[in-house]
Amino acid sequence: MTSMATPAHQKQTLAAKATLGVVLASETALFGTLVMSYLLLRTGQAGWPYMHPSISRLALPVLNTSVLLLSAAMSWQSDRAIQSGKAGQLKAGLALACLLGLLFIAGQTFEFTRSGMRPDDPAFGGVFFALMGFHALHVLAGMVVLGLNLLRAQLGDFDQDRHTAVDMGTWFWYYVTAVWLVLFAVLYLI
Amino acid sequence: MTTHAQSPAISLPEARGFAHTHLGSWIMTVDHKRIGILYMITAVTYFLVGGIFALLMRLQLAQPNNHVLSNANYNQIFTMHGTTMIFLVVMPLSAGLGNYLVPLMIGARDMAYPKLNALSYWLFLFGSLFLYSSFAFGGAPDSGWFSYAPLTERAFSHNHSMDFWALAILILGISTTLGSINFIVTTIQLRAPGMTFRRLPVFVWMICITAFLAVFSLPSLTTASILLLLDRTIKTHFFVVSEGGNALLWQHLFWFFGHPEVYILILPAFGIVSEIVPVFSSKPLFGYTAVVLSGLAIGVLGFTVWAHHMFATGMPTVALLFFSADSFMIGVPTGVKIFAWLGTMYGGKLRFKTPMLFAIGEIALFTIGGLDGIHMAVVPVDWQVTDSYYVVSHIHYVLFGGAIFGLFAGLYYWFPKFSGRLMDETLGKWQFWAMFIGMNMVFFPMHILGVLGMPRRIYTYGAGLGWDIWNLIETIGAFIIAVGILIFLINFFATLRKPPTAADDPWDAFTLEWKTSSPPPDHNFAQIPAVRGRRPLWDEKHPELADWKLEEA
Repeated sequence: MTSMATPAHQKQTLAAKATLGVVLASETALFGTLVMSYLLLRTGQAGWPYMHPSISRLALPVLNTSVLLLSAAMSWQSDRAIQSGKAGQLKAGLALACLLGLLFIAGQTFEFTRSGMRPDDPAFGGVFFALMGFHALHVLAGMVVLGLNLLRAQLGDFDQDRHTAVDMGTWFWYYVTAVWLVLFAVLYLI
Repeated sequence: MTTHAQSPAISLPEARGFAHTHLGSWIMTVDHKRIGILYMITAVTYFLVGGIFALLMRLQLAQPNNHVLSNANYNQIFTMHGTTMIFLVVMPLSAGLGNYLVPLMIGARDMAYPKLNALSYWLFLFGSLFLYSSFAFGGAPDSGWFSYAPLTERAFSHNHSMDFWALAILILGISTTLGSINFIVTTIQLRAPGMTFRRLPVFVWMICITAFLAVFSLPSLTTASILLLLDRTIKTHFFVVSEGGNALLWQHLFWFFGHPEVYILILPAFGIVSEIVPVFSSKPLFGYTAVVLSGLAIGVLGFTVWAHHMFATGMPTVALLFFSADSFMIGVPTGVKIFAWLGTMYGGKLRFKTPMLFAIGEIALFTIGGLDGIHMAVVPVDWQVTDSYYVVSHIHYVLFGGAIFGLFAGLYYWFPKFSGRLMDETLGKWQFWAMFIGMNMVFFPMHILGVLGMPRRIYTYGAGLGWDIWNLIETIGAFIIAVGILIFLINFFATLRKPPTAADDPWDAFTLEWKTSSPPPDHNFAQIPAVRGRRPLWDEKHPELADWKLEEA
């Protein structure tokens, strides 16, 4: 890589990485306690929805998951594009990742309404709502980050050497995707 | 470094006018020293409020069948006393000292994110005022500082007090998390050349471990608060057993935060004592590596002992055994620290100035509190004394004797750095003895009351139970502490009226914050210092006896 990146810029990049690392560790503790709450509530119950889900029942959640994975792939593509200086591809990737994120939220909302669960149902309804809701809020936060990066890309803020914010946004988006994979397993598979 | 150099240019022209007024310069500040002072002044103010709550409780309990407070008021007062002292006094006071001192001690010009730092403070102030505004909207929270569900569900807590509590806790949690991220990144990023992790002052280590504890434990409290709010607003049933919820879920979530929280409260005080004891013993800290490693061990083990707060909930025997043994284990690294401080003092040239008195007081009182904790790690003992005054005694020896004495030691020690003025020694010693004697009069008899079966949180009690005399002694002791705090306030304001004549390094200290002027200039150091050992200022003052020379020899 041609090094226009100054030592000060490198130091800032390192600070950004450390910060994101601590934030994600803290987020992991948040989702960890939520999953533990789910498991604790479940141990007290005789029956539990989705213990042995049918293929048709799983179709929509699997489709939603695929949309989010595709979105993560777009985000990966956009990050790779700016590393070789292609600002146009960066913008296209970010826009697609955002749109797919929106589609995922819509799919999740549909999934929740279709399930017939209500937050005030005994036990499962509430925790199903809480897990999906917490995650959806993180997807929305990630879309804000990607959207801001899109705006900055439009203003020409990023080039081959200066794109820390794009990296950080991409990693956050990977993280949100990974959390959903865990939640998917917890809610539908185990 | 370039970011700091650029930041003044970013500020808006219209903001600059206000920022140059006296008030505006404090409100608009992003300087770590000023933010530290804001934290400390706010925390000391809340300390006075929480102290008045404590005096009200002691007045009510001075005699049997007393009528100073109604039962409803008493519940609000003890809940707000605990919540205030933990979230609005000890945590922000440590954050304030950390803010002021961490950049100075590591030879940096500011925190890594100065604006985020200001945001942390203002969120803290907003969250605390929000909590207190509940008094004006139908009453303050009244379910104790750990707010056990389902008692806090709408079915049992009709007004909005618990909503205020849960929302305030969320705001304060965000503030602490942002502050912690800042401490961690600052310490990783901004250390002066040569300030390796093995040379980092113990106070900085402890602030960092505290920050990690906060970042990992607060999410559990966040989850608990949000689930409680969902239960109370959209009628989910997380903690309602009849609807498939689980009452113990709250206790697990709360104490998974609550026990690391105990170490969040005490580790900064341990850091302060580890700075003060060596300076006033004229010796380097005995067992630096052991002290740091024991701090890390406490940080890790602190996450594995939460259920010892729940021994009385009918856990399986294997869980009882695990959490009991684990709680014994966490006493070991704490003991390591105490022996390291004693080893530092042993054979040293001791100077009993006020900071040193408070530090020694901290060691003595925390030892009693720690041993009480060991008693209660024994499950049958815990079953006997749980929810009695024995527990109240334990937490006050640990948090008042431990954390507050440690923080006062720090305030006396660093006050000349903050203000350029030395606090009066005679008044300082009077304050120490009033607080030390008063503290033992209040909290030692609580052991006896606990064994005699007096439950905590009762607003009154009948005569003839054998509790009267001890309660009266405790109330007298509480007012002796109050006299001590009054002496502190007199000392504080009288000192501020004196001219700033303190030397830059009045205690003949070891660490970098004493290398710069008192108070330090805006950017702390004209030149970033180079560090070659654990006591950089000692090395500079005694070049022929420098630590790094002896290490090489």
